[in-house]
Amino acid sequence: MFNQGGLSLDQAPPLSVVMRFFITASIFGILLGLFLFSQSLHITTLSSYSTQLITVHTLSLGVMASFMLGALFQMLPVLAGVVIKTPTTKAMMVHGLLTVGVLVQLFAFGVTSNSLLYFLASAYLGLALFYALYLMLKELIKIKTHSSSSKGISLALTMLIPTVIFGTYLLLTEGGFIHIIDFSQIKEIHYSFALLGWISLLIVSVSFQVIEMFYVTPSYPTNITKYLTLTIVLLLILKMTFILLEYPTTILTATIALLFLAYATVTIERLTQRKRPTADATVWFWLFGMALFILSMTVTLIGSFFTISSTLQHLSYIAFIGFALSIVFAMIYKIVPFLTWFHLSNQGYMEAPMMHDVIHPKKAKIHFYIHFVTIVIWLLTTDITWLGSLLITISFGWLFYNLIFAIKKYTYTQKHCEKIEW
Amino acid sequence: MIISNYMRAEHRECDEIFAAAEKSIIEGDFEQAERQFLLFSEDTLTHFKKEEEALFPTFEEVTGNTEGPTRMMRYEHEQMRGLIGKMAEAIENQDKDAYLSIAESMMILLQQHNMKEEQMLYAMCDRAIPQDKKESVIETMKTVEL
Repeated sequence: MFNQGGLSLDQAPPLSVVMRFFITASIFGILLGLFLFSQSLHITTLSSYSTQLITVHTLSLGVMASFMLGALFQMLPVLAGVVIKTPTTKAMMVHGLLTVGVLVQLFAFGVTSNSLLYFLASAYLGLALFYALYLMLKELIKIKTHSSSSKGISLALTMLIPTVIFGTYLLLTEGGFIHIIDFSQIKEIHYSFALLGWISLLIVSVSFQVIEMFYVTPSYPTNITKYLTLTIVLLLILKMTFILLEYPTTILTATIALLFLAYATVTIERLTQRKRPTADATVWFWLFGMALFILSMTVTLIGSFFTISSTLQHLSYIAFIGFALSIVFAMIYKIVPFLTWFHLSNQGYMEAPMMHDVIHPKKAKIHFYIHFVTIVIWLLTTDITWLGSLLITISFGWLFYNLIFAIKKYTYTQKHCEKIEW
Repeated sequence: MIISNYMRAEHRECDEIFAAAEKSIIEGDFEQAERQFLLFSEDTLTHFKKEEEALFPTFEEVTGNTEGPTRMMRYEHEQMRGLIGKMAEAIENQDKDAYLSIAESMMILLQQHNMKEEQMLYAMCDRAIPQDKKESVIETMKTVEL
């Protein structure tokens, strides 16, 4: 029925559902910067392998998964027309399990000999992510006519399933519970599904609707919206099979990279054709993110045919991280001010702060500058530098401040402003 | 798909004028912005009126459903009427920041509203309303004035 579609008074999950995820993600970002800072000055002396594991998983789970799951709780009613009932309790459970799981996992990576920590980490993370998957996919499969976004979101979530399964397998191996014959094979499958399936496909699917909606651009070409996400999924499944059968994956990786390159180029083109003249920071974040995606996929494309240096490999990873974070920041600076205004306005507060009063575009622009410098420094240096690390903390610290400011505006209005009962 | 096509074209026209007014505001040309904004508000409010006085009653009559989609759309129209009023006030006060801030909320709300209508409600109208009635509804809508 129609009342499944779109954000309305009784369907929009409370602001706390989204904010708890966003605040936690920012704190993980701040802590990551501080951890890398201490490593750069040799205050902590973990091995490079442990440092790498801690960094990658703080970013992918503590930061990205928190942002993405929080955003999904909010966006599923708008983009896919599905509603998760009693979202507050469910979001609290997912959030709690995920946060504890990430913390335990990071301790496990830091204190490598403790098997129990690996077991607990895989249990908490598995429960958190599979519960979130169950909540969302259960509703998504009920949709009779899918839009390109709802289809893509469903596929991105589906890609999270093998990511979690193989991730759990790797964690249990690290903990000494099981033994894999070829650890690197499973690792490659795990991160291929995580980065190119879950993260990239979710961003692609969301962009199909929000780029046109936020910036009034021409629609994406039908060939892209109809076939891109499904093709990537099929290629990733084939890639997994080829890896397990020890066949070469060159063509598959190259095709995936080429498809994402085409998508990123079209997105940049669409953004430059936008009818809205405002060049706010969110447009810059999108453009910068897509440029970084192009850089990362170009190196991946070259790397699938030729042996590339570790410096180029590093460039590709940093560019990918920069891409994912840029898009997340672009979304947050639209979502949070809009939702704050939307909820207060619907609750009957006539003096509800407008979007610019919640987070002024100037504040988002400051974040863009910090983010830009941070990514450029990390792209230019192969070692962990104190400056790059500190900039990560400043970047997430600034976001944290903006989110807290928005919450304060929200609670202040509720306490002090006149409310009209509908 | 005659309802969908007719109504969708009106949405796109409103988007164009909205963007033009926003551009003039950014350039600080309030006189031009006022003219464009008036055009935007007239077109948008007329579009709402067409839906509320012609399309929605026909849909409700054919389907017998008055509590579903059309009720929600009417509620959202009211929300947007409120924002249009605030935007007019900001233009009158030549308050660039206030205008752009309200315009941001308006744009997201409007696009989301349009998305629901285009993807669901208009398609439902095209399916549920008989062809001759669809043609007469469009003719009626063409005569609606503010």
